[in-house]
Amino acid sequence: MKVDSDGTMEEMDDDFEVEMATLVSSSPASMKTHITGIWGIGSMVDLSSSCSLNRIVRRLLKSIGIVIFQPKINLLLPFGPLAIIFHYLVRKHGFVFFFSLIGIIPLAERLGYLTEQLAFYTGPTVGGLLNATFGNATEMIISLYALQNGMIRVVQQSLLGSILSNMLLVLGCAFFSGGIVHYNKNQVFNKAAAVVNSGLLLMAVMGLMFPTVLHYTHSEVQYGKSEVSLSRFSSCVMLVAYAGYLFFQLRSHHKLYNPINEEEGNNEDDSDEEEVPEITQREAIAWLAVLTVWVSILSGYLVDAIQGASESLNLPVAFISVVLLPIVGNAAEHASAIMFAMKNKLDITLGVAIGSSTQISMFVIPFCVVVGWMMGKDMDLNFQLFETATLFITVLVVAFMLQEGTVNYFKGLMLILCYLIVAASFYVHVDPSANDG
Amino acid sequence: MNGTRGVPLSQLPSLQLQMGSMSGKSMHEFEDESLASPMAFPSERPQHRSIAVQELNFENLKRRLIKNLKIVIFTERINILMPCGPAAIIVNHLTAHHGWVFMLSLLGIIPLAERLGFATEQLVFFTGPTVGGLLNATFGNATELIISIFALENGMIRIVQQSLLGSILSNMLLVLGCAFFAGGLVFNNKEQVFDKSAAVVNSGLLLMGVMGLLSPAVLYYTHTELHFGKSELALSRFTSFIMLVVYASYIFYQLKNQKASYDHENEGGNQNEESGDDEAPEISKWEAIIWLAIFTGWIAVLSEYLVNAIEGASIALRIPIAFISVILLPIVGNAAEHASAIMFAMKDKLDISLGVAIGSSTQITMFGIPFCVIIGWIMGTPMDLNFQLFETATLFITVIVVAFMLQDGTSNYFKGLMLILCYLIVAASFYVHVDPQSVGVPPGE
Repeated sequence: MKVDSDGTMEEMDDDFEVEMATLVSSSPASMKTHITGIWGIGSMVDLSSSCSLNRIVRRLLKSIGIVIFQPKINLLLPFGPLAIIFHYLVRKHGFVFFFSLIGIIPLAERLGYLTEQLAFYTGPTVGGLLNATFGNATEMIISLYALQNGMIRVVQQSLLGSILSNMLLVLGCAFFSGGIVHYNKNQVFNKAAAVVNSGLLLMAVMGLMFPTVLHYTHSEVQYGKSEVSLSRFSSCVMLVAYAGYLFFQLRSHHKLYNPINEEEGNNEDDSDEEEVPEITQREAIAWLAVLTVWVSILSGYLVDAIQGASESLNLPVAFISVVLLPIVGNAAEHASAIMFAMKNKLDITLGVAIGSSTQISMFVIPFCVVVGWMMGKDMDLNFQLFETATLFITVLVVAFMLQEGTVNYFKGLMLILCYLIVAASFYVHVDPSANDG
Repeated sequence: MNGTRGVPLSQLPSLQLQMGSMSGKSMHEFEDESLASPMAFPSERPQHRSIAVQELNFENLKRRLIKNLKIVIFTERINILMPCGPAAIIVNHLTAHHGWVFMLSLLGIIPLAERLGFATEQLVFFTGPTVGGLLNATFGNATELIISIFALENGMIRIVQQSLLGSILSNMLLVLGCAFFAGGLVFNNKEQVFDKSAAVVNSGLLLMGVMGLLSPAVLYYTHTELHFGKSELALSRFTSFIMLVVYASYIFYQLKNQKASYDHENEGGNQNEESGDDEAPEISKWEAIIWLAIFTGWIAVLSEYLVNAIEGASIALRIPIAFISVILLPIVGNAAEHASAIMFAMKDKLDISLGVAIGSSTQITMFGIPFCVIIGWIMGTPMDLNFQLFETATLFITVIVVAFMLQDGTSNYFKGLMLILCYLIVAASFYVHVDPQSVGVPPGE
């Protein structure tokens, strides 16, 4: 299938067919004919319509091609609509939950891809800010939905679980696979950035600890209310700290974050230059909007199905919120972190994993508290004693592992096994105060 | 007092008042006199020279005293706050407005604490580094210790615990954070470095202090003591002894190291030391000792009014006592150290800033607190190391955060900002914190 009038389309076509070939092996034959059918239409349109409409349609198809059909993970896309269908027809919450969970995975991954693409156009500063905000867009959207339904504990636990999974599971897998691939040497990374991030995580733990301990020692001025006000104040302080961190990272001390990469910086630059943005700026923004809406819709069904899924699957809600939800939300980051570790670009891995944890603890959590404040919900930083203690010890363990500046597969193994312990603890954990709105 | 030996009567009263009185009014009067009649003395000198050797000595003494007063009292701008002290006493006796008494005595203590530090520094010039180090170690936090001892006497154990805790927190977070922040802003193109090993040793000591505080608290709260309430008191006293021993060895270790590094630095011609030597002592040894005694006494007097006014101030100003003890008292007690730490950081002498801030925290943790426990033991007050769960947890997380920030030996403005914001969170938590057990209950509860 070739379109002669446009040379690039030919190349595109080739890539396309290669991609299609890889997909074809696992997808039904009907899909292949369906796609070639689209291309058939494309060639028809080219011949008969006016030039501009032609170009738009072609760009649209090319866009769809790049964004939707390229990555293999998008096989999971149909699960989204499937979840919605199940929700209305079958009412089996377990299935709805799983399908929407699986349906969100590719959307989250595409969101990350789009943010990257947009970063090409906006430059590193705004690009960094974009990454900072949209990096955890999935978690934020899920949390806002849950907040709206008054499921405060689910919000707290899912955010906590996201931090834990980033710090232990993602980082552990990355260190482990990187360590195995490069097992004859110790991989190094830029200590300074890791230390700043660890400091921020510790500060976040502090922000979470105070309302919790205050509440549990029954030493508040007004029982129940003071720690909500304290949480709100601390959230504002944490948001200020995060803003300062962004300023520090992107403006004044960005050279702090470069050193280790400089030897391999040439590789980076080359590969960056080869990776020209694949879609235009407007397309990126448009797709960003589309995918965000899509994620929101699925999140709505997901959140509604949690309670029912917990009953039908016989899993505690805590386990679902802390372990299952985040594993899915982070699947894409997980994959990219492992990949970069295997390419010996540990700084990027750390940026993905620990940076994401820092973002969630210093931005998303306080942001949710503030949004809850505006919505009139009593979302606070009192994550209950067990969760807070878990976070505290985890941050300590990870900060300790990172402070040396080197990694090996054993550190990765330790982190993964720590995550197993954490997951097991939450499997047998029931919330003393069931707060499902 | 040798004031009667041939000295004109007009000068007698001023000398008597100057030499021994604790009353602030005397300082006021002398201030007026010296300002009003600086020319009075020189004109009388020829008379004195003809009379006797003792009179000559006495004249020199007088002149030295005036010069002294000028150096010690009138040079520093912060001493404008000095009248607040007497004002506090007046207000206390005239009105019973505890809020005012509290604030005025707080303000009055600030310059005294600062001058106490100055007098200690001056004395160090005469005693050499060893005894000097010991002096700094003891008098460095004299203000907090004096306030604590007064509170102990009144049986206000929680206030003692909270004010000492607040002093540690404020030194570690606020003072250090401001120093890092200010230094980082001034030197924002490079990272400031400091001596890692000293910071690590101090962090270790602080963690040991936390351990000492954790054991009684956790023992008490898990209800696993042998004799409920009594065992942890005994444990606290024993632990305090150990902490004092550790502190003594730390001082010994530090002085040994200092001697070694002094030798090295003198050979290398270190600028810091030379500039320190250039600052010749401004007052003589005995004058320094006398001033030390005067200031200590003055602080003791004001502290008594301060401590007596705390509860009334808490009601009048509508602030929880915990907030006053943990946040307000230490900010004031540390005001002078605060200013000097920031100044040294801006001059890129971060090691001195660290020495001031973290050294002070270590001192309070390993010396101030155990010392108070022992003094309480002697007084018969059941002061223990059980600082209650919330306060102990706060100290624990703070020490960990700070130890972490310090362990890589560099600083930048963002670290400072983080520490300051952490302090804001701590302060906010104490603003909404009430002690489950009430404060100020007489011993024997």
